[in-house]
Amino acid sequence: MSQTTAAGRRAPVAKRGMFDWSVGKTARVVTMLFVACMFVLPITGFIAMAFRSNEGVAAGAGGPFGFGDMSWDNAQYSWSQVNGFGPGGGGLYTRWLLNTLAVAGGGALLAVIAALPAGYALARLRFRARRTVLLITLITMVMPNTVLVIPIFLEVNAIGAVGELWPVGLIMGFFPFGVYLAYIHFMTTMPQELVEAARIDGLGEVSIFWRVALPISRQAAVLVGFFAFVANWINFFLPLALLSSNQNNQTLPVGLQQLIGASPLFNPTVAAGLDVKLYMPQLALATFISMLPLLIVFLGAQKFLMRGETMGAVKG
Amino acid sequence: MSTALMEDIATSPPAPGARRRPRRRVARPSETRGAWVLMAPYLVLLMIAGIIPVAYAVKTSLEKAPTPLDPTGGFGGVDSFRTVITDYRFVDTFVNIFATLVVWLPIMTIGIVGLALLVHASPGWFGSSMRFIYYIPGALAGVANLVLWVYLLNPSQSPIEGFWQALGVDTIKQAVAGPGNLPFILAAMMFFQGVGQWVIVVNGGLNGISEETLEAARLDGANEWRLAWHVKLPIIRPWIGYAVLMNLAYGFQLFLEPQLLDQVASNALDDHWTPTQLGYAFAFSNYNFPAAAAMSLILLVITLGIGLLVVFRTGLFGEEEHR
Repeated sequence: MSQTTAAGRRAPVAKRGMFDWSVGKTARVVTMLFVACMFVLPITGFIAMAFRSNEGVAAGAGGPFGFGDMSWDNAQYSWSQVNGFGPGGGGLYTRWLLNTLAVAGGGALLAVIAALPAGYALARLRFRARRTVLLITLITMVMPNTVLVIPIFLEVNAIGAVGELWPVGLIMGFFPFGVYLAYIHFMTTMPQELVEAARIDGLGEVSIFWRVALPISRQAAVLVGFFAFVANWINFFLPLALLSSNQNNQTLPVGLQQLIGASPLFNPTVAAGLDVKLYMPQLALATFISMLPLLIVFLGAQKFLMRGETMGAVKG
Repeated sequence: MSTALMEDIATSPPAPGARRRPRRRVARPSETRGAWVLMAPYLVLLMIAGIIPVAYAVKTSLEKAPTPLDPTGGFGGVDSFRTVITDYRFVDTFVNIFATLVVWLPIMTIGIVGLALLVHASPGWFGSSMRFIYYIPGALAGVANLVLWVYLLNPSQSPIEGFWQALGVDTIKQAVAGPGNLPFILAAMMFFQGVGQWVIVVNGGLNGISEETLEAARLDGANEWRLAWHVKLPIIRPWIGYAVLMNLAYGFQLFLEPQLLDQVASNALDDHWTPTQLGYAFAFSNYNFPAAAAMSLILLVITLGIGLLVVFRTGLFGEEEHR
């Protein structure tokens, strides 16, 4: 992603040996292209699968990746099956999509609201517990968040809120990586002198954050929001533990698991009792649609992400 | 995904302003007060999603599991830990994780370092577009990656059908539940999903090597191979250590992949293949909350240990300690 910096930094090397295709260079390029194919081909075939027909897949039509079997009609049929899942005419998938938008978006918003002032305080204010808070943030940041899910479930269960969406959004708001990002942002972009000057002008500590630091933190806000949203969107274990008991209140990853479980490919007995048929094209379409919001968010944040890569590299 | 930016964060230099003045000055009361006000929202969330759950898990783990005869529970000391550790599945889950790590970590580490070095040796658009392509599968994280792998693993419609036929595998159940297959399948899935973001991280470390250093080595007659082996590799050791430790911690919490692969293999796999699955089963199948709490605390201690190693031993976060 940091193409610009990387390319810029190594530009002089590019001139060296541009046209001499030694054995080493050939081996390097071939290896890299081979690995790239191993990564791209399965994904291409998978996306194609979302536009294929059940009959075509069963007959192996359209070549090894089924490109010849793709059509918009197939996708429309598959969508009717995917969104037909659920009691009383279905519509569960749309519901899950909205739930996921709510908890992932709400969680990301909370993460930004919490991360910016905390990151600023850790970067630019002196206080006793600073080192401790920073350490706790670093350690929770590098630990996989799944290890806390069972304890969180016990906590939410104790207050009787299992199956409700709000605890999921609230807990997704805890995003120590965002605090660390904001901390680095203020460390690198806001000189201590600026804080001192504002103090001499008679501003209080909170006002300094509000009037001086916040206006220059759009970049950090977008980055924290983006990474929090992505992490929340694909989070599986937390919503699984907290929402399993309520089918209407699930999120897409948990819902996808249900769709897999309702597929005649893997569970003929359950699938026999359903109005909809979820074969591989339908599962691929459900997955593909579930990833589209991430693509949209990525395109929206792209400008900031590219700059974000260089954010830490600014040497002042 | 969040590691994608880690390279710059890890490599970010201390802010120019941060070093100029002596740090050791007395905290002003107004500054302390302001700091707590500004950190309040974050600290509240830290309490709700971190500290309180852990404290409550400790309390729960020290209770007795409710039984039909005695549904009240009450203080049980370390009974729940005994229940967990003596559970016939406990050791097996860790053996499974180790089997997966033995296959996965070396492949992952060699893949990360190899691809990062290849990308770094490829200047211009080719290297950066390859790096972007390697990252794409990382966007398909979690359940999406799983469905993609179901597509690859199911011989009836897989694009690598020939591969499965050569192995004599006709159904996805055979592919997933064949003896000893699971660690390899998990390794492949996690490699596919994770290698790209770590290539970006390690590549960030490589980009930190100054052009002068590389030029000096070239003048000394080092070719690209020697350059990679004798110059670049030693310099990026902290990043490699960081990647290995983070992936190790990731391995210990495995849940989604084995859980859902079991589902697509008609429950032919063990339901409690990993420690996290076992903890989940204690909570949601046995309703033995003390045991579930004890299991999660055991995992918490393991990953906390790895987390402390990452923060204190890789040298990537060392700056913070001295600022």
